[in-house]
Amino acid sequence: MDGGIEQHLAAGRHARAFDLVVPAYQVRVFRLAYSILKDRAAAEDAAQETFVRVWKALPGFDGRAALGTWIYAITRNTCLMELRRRRPTVSFDDPDSDEAYRAATSIATAPAEDPERDNLLRLVDTLPRTQQQAVRLFYLEDRSYEAVAEQLGMPLGTVKNLLHRARKRLMELARPAEVKAA
Amino acid sequence: MNTPTHAGPCADYEHEIVELAEGSLSPERARAIRVHVESCARCRAWQSAFAALDAELGEALPRPALSADFAARLKSRLAVVTRTNGRADLRASADDEYRQTLDALRRGTKFSAIVGAMTVVGICTAGLLLARGVAPELAPLLAAFAGPERATAFVTLGSIVALGTLAWSATRGILPTLRLRA
Repeated sequence: MDGGIEQHLAAGRHARAFDLVVPAYQVRVFRLAYSILKDRAAAEDAAQETFVRVWKALPGFDGRAALGTWIYAITRNTCLMELRRRRPTVSFDDPDSDEAYRAATSIATAPAEDPERDNLLRLVDTLPRTQQQAVRLFYLEDRSYEAVAEQLGMPLGTVKNLLHRARKRLMELARPAEVKAA
Repeated sequence: MNTPTHAGPCADYEHEIVELAEGSLSPERARAIRVHVESCARCRAWQSAFAALDAELGEALPRPALSADFAARLKSRLAVVTRTNGRADLRASADDEYRQTLDALRRGTKFSAIVGAMTVVGICTAGLLLARGVAPELAPLLAAFAGPERATAFVTLGSIVALGTLAWSATRGILPTLRLRA
């Protein structure tokens, strides 16, 4: 699919390339945005903004990075700007810290109807920022480590470690009795 | 509930129990892990807890979908951006044209003035010398250039020559011309 896009880009047909980029990447861009922002409407807005930026920047895309890598990097930056915009007065030393992330995304988390599910989702929200994003994206992407690594811009091994630590921590928090019985 | 009480699996098998569940182990290694898990209560409990958590996360985590009108809204948004960019491009083009015109006027004015001045001086000098040597009968006329009215005579002659020079340079395109665009 990217082959057709890259052919158009190489020939300077940016509008035609963009027409292929949107259907090829819209779902993954949206999922990545959702895994970061935790809010459907905000994720759609971020996805729209991402594609506007892609459209503007596409003539300058030099192909040094893979097209997907480039688009996902734009998506992550768009989401980070949205998080900073939400909480402009948060005065943590690191604006991208786990505390700042929880503060910026807590308003977007809707309560679930099922108490057990609600509890599990709340436990996921207690994980460090990158672990939360990896967990959400992993299950959105049908348990694909490769998709998570590509979208979060991390090495595959790092993603596997993140997910292992995250799920181990969730087991410790959510199922202590069962494990203790062993 | 949040107190970790999880004893955990055997450290050597922790990651591979996960990989076994995900089906990413080689057949030989998978067999070895199964043999160990069957004989180890801690690893068996951990494997069971992991499988349960994995299933719960798969069900609990939201799987939002893109709105059906995502692409249409993006198209509308891009149309607005394109119009805005088009107006900006037009304005930038007009500014550029204005600057180029001013530069041309400055360059052209200087050039015309130099050409005009040199022409006036040259023609006047040559004309006076020629008239004095070739046509002695013009002496009364030339006396005007030597008498008390010589300033007026020189200015009149210079103006006539200068106007002629300007007219000539305009016909040759040396003078700057304004290019007007719709």
